[in-house]
Amino acid sequence: MKMFDNIKQSLIWKSMFRRDYKDTPRNRALAIFGNVFMHLHPVKVREGAVKLRYTWGMGGISLFSFIILTVTGFLLMFYYRPSVDQAYWDIKDLEFQVPYGIFLRSLHRWAGHFMVIVVWLHMFRVFMTGSYKSPRQFNWAIGVILLVLTMLLSFTGYLLPWDQLGLWAIEVGTNMAAGTPLLGFEGPFSEYLGITPYNDVRFAILGGSTVGGNALLRSYVWHCVALPLVAVVLMAVHFWRVRKDGGISGPHS
Amino acid sequence: MGPFIEIISKPDNIAIVVMILMVLFFTAWAFLQAFRNDASRKNGELIEGEGNGKVDTWKPLVRIELIVALVVFIGLTFWSLVVDAPLEELANPTLTPNPAKAPWYFLGLQEMLVYFDPWIAGVVLPTLIIIGLIAIPYIDINPKGNGYYTFSERKWAILIFCFGFLFLWILLIVIGVFFRGPGWLWFWPWEEWDHHRVVYEGTADLTNLVGIDSRSGWGFFIGGGVVTMYYALGMILPYVYWRKKKPEFFENLGMVPYVTVTFLFWTMLALPIKMFLRLVLMVKYVWVTPWFNI
Amino acid sequence: MKKGSAYTPYLFAFLSLLLLGLAGWVIWKDEVQLRPWKAYQQEYKELKGAKLQAEYDVAKKEFDSNGNAEKLEALQARLQAAEEIFQSRGVQEKYTGLVGQLDIIEASLAQNQKKLQETRGKYLEAEYLYIRGQKEQDKEVMQQLQGEIEGLTENRNVLLERKSALQEDIGELTNEFEAIRAEIRSLHKGLDEKLMAIESNDRMSLEIRQIHIRDAGKADRCITCHAGIESSYRLSDRQPLTRHPAGFIFLENHPVSEYGCTFCHQGQGRATTSPDKAHGWVDHWTEPMHQGSMTQSSCISCHGDIEGLRGAEFISKGSKLIKKYGCYGCHMIPGYEDLREVGPVLAEVGTKINYSWAVSWLQDPKTYYETARMPKFYLSKEEAESIADYLFSMTGTTRRDTLYADEDIDWDLAEKGKAIWRQSRCNICHTTNGKGGNHTEIHAPDLSKVGSKVTREWLFNWIKDPKKYFPETKMPRYRFSDQELAALVEYIVSEFQDWDFEPEYEDPVPMKAESIEKGKALVQKYGCFGCHKVKGMEEMQDIAPQLRRAGVTFARSGEMEEKIGAELSSIGSKPVELLDFGKVKDKIPHDRLSYVKQKLRAPRSFRDDLRMPDYRLGEEELGSISSVLLGFTDASRPARFVVPSYAEIEEFEGGTESHILSGDFEKLERDIKCLNCHKIGNHGYNYAPDLSVAGSKLQEEWLRRFLKQPDIIRPMLKQMPRFNLDKQDGMIQGNLESSEIETVMNFFRSDLVTDDIPAFLPDLDDGAVDQVLEGKRLYDEKGCVACHQIGNAGGSVGPNLSNVGGRLTAGFIFKYLEDPQRYNPQNVEPKYGFTERERIYLARYLMSLKLE
Repeated sequence: MKMFDNIKQSLIWKSMFRRDYKDTPRNRALAIFGNVFMHLHPVKVREGAVKLRYTWGMGGISLFSFIILTVTGFLLMFYYRPSVDQAYWDIKDLEFQVPYGIFLRSLHRWAGHFMVIVVWLHMFRVFMTGSYKSPRQFNWAIGVILLVLTMLLSFTGYLLPWDQLGLWAIEVGTNMAAGTPLLGFEGPFSEYLGITPYNDVRFAILGGSTVGGNALLRSYVWHCVALPLVAVVLMAVHFWRVRKDGGISGPHS
Repeated sequence: MGPFIEIISKPDNIAIVVMILMVLFFTAWAFLQAFRNDASRKNGELIEGEGNGKVDTWKPLVRIELIVALVVFIGLTFWSLVVDAPLEELANPTLTPNPAKAPWYFLGLQEMLVYFDPWIAGVVLPTLIIIGLIAIPYIDINPKGNGYYTFSERKWAILIFCFGFLFLWILLIVIGVFFRGPGWLWFWPWEEWDHHRVVYEGTADLTNLVGIDSRSGWGFFIGGGVVTMYYALGMILPYVYWRKKKPEFFENLGMVPYVTVTFLFWTMLALPIKMFLRLVLMVKYVWVTPWFNI
Repeated sequence: MKKGSAYTPYLFAFLSLLLLGLAGWVIWKDEVQLRPWKAYQQEYKELKGAKLQAEYDVAKKEFDSNGNAEKLEALQARLQAAEEIFQSRGVQEKYTGLVGQLDIIEASLAQNQKKLQETRGKYLEAEYLYIRGQKEQDKEVMQQLQGEIEGLTENRNVLLERKSALQEDIGELTNEFEAIRAEIRSLHKGLDEKLMAIESNDRMSLEIRQIHIRDAGKADRCITCHAGIESSYRLSDRQPLTRHPAGFIFLENHPVSEYGCTFCHQGQGRATTSPDKAHGWVDHWTEPMHQGSMTQSSCISCHGDIEGLRGAEFISKGSKLIKKYGCYGCHMIPGYEDLREVGPVLAEVGTKINYSWAVSWLQDPKTYYETARMPKFYLSKEEAESIADYLFSMTGTTRRDTLYADEDIDWDLAEKGKAIWRQSRCNICHTTNGKGGNHTEIHAPDLSKVGSKVTREWLFNWIKDPKKYFPETKMPRYRFSDQELAALVEYIVSEFQDWDFEPEYEDPVPMKAESIEKGKALVQKYGCFGCHKVKGMEEMQDIAPQLRRAGVTFARSGEMEEKIGAELSSIGSKPVELLDFGKVKDKIPHDRLSYVKQKLRAPRSFRDDLRMPDYRLGEEELGSISSVLLGFTDASRPARFVVPSYAEIEEFEGGTESHILSGDFEKLERDIKCLNCHKIGNHGYNYAPDLSVAGSKLQEEWLRRFLKQPDIIRPMLKQMPRFNLDKQDGMIQGNLESSEIETVMNFFRSDLVTDDIPAFLPDLDDGAVDQVLEGKRLYDEKGCVACHQIGNAGGSVGPNLSNVGGRLTAGFIFKYLEDPQRYNPQNVEPKYGFTERERIYLARYLMSLKLE
């Protein structure tokens, strides 16, 4: 005990922790604004806002899913090469060779599906409580974009195992893009612009006229780099706006 | 019942089952709270959360967050332990599976392909969905119901949104997953998937119903007229009606939001209307033009 | 909130414990459940450890019992004595002194070494400075250091010399017992090695092992569980720890480290988490592991020739069956493209056979004879009649049957014909009433009831010149005179009658035009031209579009592009989803093998309107055919694995199919079909002796005599038929005409020779020795008599050698004895490893054996 006290009195400890654990109003406040992660929260929240039955916790669960996905995805990148010859066998080896590989991949996939569902339900809850109303209109718009990003993240990840399931899901998904008016070669009016399967919007998405190695690489880069970065930035704005717009909504604001 | 068990136990489809259960549960919960709040309002009582003070974030909120995170993590870990992520055969561009299905969350769009050409179902409608969602706060000018569950104070908004979300999005996904088999034909869950099944679905267009070739000049004009009138009347009739009944409503809303909201509303309703035309009257297109068909 | 907070710690504790439990589950799943091979490897390790221990125990026992213990004791006693001397005062002092001196020298050497290093370093620095600055003073320093280095080196050499002298002195003191120690060690060596093997087995870790075949992108981890597959020990009879069966065929030619496992066995080589996954018996894996003999189907992907391939007997049988039944007539099957139709030409069938016979044959060929190759098409009588009408309409206008009653037969003539029948050895190829047909690969028709089938006139013309009717027939042309022919025909017609035959059209009846048309449509529908040449449809079999125009519908589009049946060139890779199981969907398992087998077993069971006929194959037959078909896959294999076929090699070397036959001999061969029975190179059959090197092997004189008079003591149906009987008195005058014999002789001398076989035996300068007697001594000594007969004494496994000196060349015997499998890999004679001298003696002895 003595030693513990000594440690707590040491310069190093004190430089890291600015408060003790006693439950005082001051400490409760310090716990929040003295901590970069907790700092997302205000020191005090409306009582109704902490009730699960009101918020359903969906926003927080989305963030938590995103964190799980980031960690598992980061680990999966160690074992995966986005090329037509290797991708499928790398995924196979995740199960057959990599310790905890299949668990890692399953967790990533199910957390991904889960996040899509949770984000939809988050939107549903926000609509049902009318929380998009003034002054939160703009944050709702950001939320919609985040929802689209979530689906795009899942969509780009679908192709990466390079199996029949992914290939044909992406084939079906991107074939719709070929119908884009003016810019897709199967879309209305595109023939007047000289659009062919080799210069249309689908070609731009896939990096080719069919789903092949380029599409796989593009999926990988979008999935692992571009979309998560954009999502993180927009999430930051989203959370910041929640606080700036008066915290979690309630009947008073 | 065989195929049903098979479909429902496909690893990816477990997510759909989770989704159905969660959507049902939370829809019920939302309406329950809405009705309770409405009742409180009617009795002159405070609704839930009204008049509450503030509490410390540390620890009530942090504690809830931690427990929710734990529960979610436990759930996902259990799910991952029991069900392995699927991996099918090596991708083979020459071997098309039947049916080829998009990822489950886009099956609503794929289902729309039955009723609309790809440029509408795959491009125009998704774009309008996103635009429409973003536009909601700007066209819903009802100041009531901000921050609490209620039904009576914003009936129309909730009904329209729930119709769009629950029926035109979630339900179409469920149909796409569980009821669509080879050739994107309808199979009841207890039916065997017959890969050779042929169903004649008709190719008549709307104008053919009254005996005019949809590809003729008359067909073009009539079809175009129907589409134009659908939107024009859809905008003018409510305008005339509400102008008389609630003139202040328009003053608050303004012309541009009105046009936007009616356009989006009638576009959304176009889907069930087209479904009706297709399934009941076997109509393929309403309007055939040399460039596109609607 | 108050209430909530009271319960929160418990909830939190509960959830944490739950998560902890799940973490435990995660670890258990990954360490135990998903690594079933750990248990196998552990078991194998224990079995191997026990085996090694047992071996060690045996060796130890043997070591002890062979008087080694005493030897060891004696050595140890000597060692002790030597050590005692060494330990004695004077010696020990001397030793300590010497060792002390050695230590001092070692220390000086170390010091010297260090200084040398320093000086060299300084020297290199000075050299650098001088090269850069070209200053005299640096050069001086350099020179000075150079001097120092030389001094140090000299010093070092002196020290080294003293060191080795000292070591020698010390050695003198210790040499003796060091030598004894080495002796003890070498005595122990065998045992020590065994102990080391045990230790290294104990140290072996449990891990995933794999064979990576880079150019094929394969990583086969099968050996992770099948730990003992290559082992020289048989440690277990249970999978997965057994040895590979028949390793001397399979593994020796395909080392596991080079070929892996899945090239032959299929399955999911990478999988390690469960036996079903590893063997590919799971969804979403398209190459399930082959089982049992089916594994042989993989041979096809690399080996060009499978017939006669050792270890590929099952598919070899299947390949022969495909040729027998002519599957390639309707299906495109790789490697079988250039073979001829299996059925006879149908151009003039109306002049050949009886109408009623044709109808009954079309309905079910097996009612005519049990071994008929033609399949059953499940035709109604009316359909069969329509087809018969169509075929008969090519040469006539009526349905008609011709019967020969007893009064029609000239019995004396028939009696003469019987002798000719015998001498012609017709029964080698044809069966009659269950007799004959020994040469099973020729597939000649059964003749038991032929008298009721064909007309006299046709039979006469046919035997006179078979090629005239059917250019590609295998039937040889015998040189019969017309009288002989008439006698033979009379015999056949009288002897081989079907007493149950019921002719319906002894009085001819005109055919109806619509029936002929219908018959034509049926011939087109069922693709009779796949096996028979049908007049007017010669090009049909390759042109499915014509059929389409003719109104024939195809069950599935895109399949019948080349031939009337489905293309089979990648049936072994065809996705199971693309196979139409039709009515048997719920009755048989959904995999390729079951599908192909069912297709062969009951072709019409899938749907009623299918066209494939029923060959009524036995389970084993259809199994072996399936195993060949499933070998045709899209899978790629490295070019270095490919073993080209004999034909491919011939083509590569610039030859053509028939290059081995040339000139007059080729013409003769076409006539009498030598290669129906004999083999030359890769052509022909194994029924009669291989002639590839006959020109070097056989003595000319013997050969000439044999061709004239082919009588050697053999069972009747192994004797060569007489192709050219003399008409006078039915006496046998000779076999081939003399000019033809010359043709044969010329060809044998020019083409069927090999430089391998010397014309003469090498000379031996052992003057006094009687080489023939020496040879006889060897013949007796090696026990040749156990298998060979000379005169009447000896065994009957090998050929009789009584006249071997009159038949074979000395050079052939000399070469043959070196390696009996050289000219015929199937030969059973063991390799004795004779020296050249012994072979010469034996050849001389055997050449002395002659019958006059």
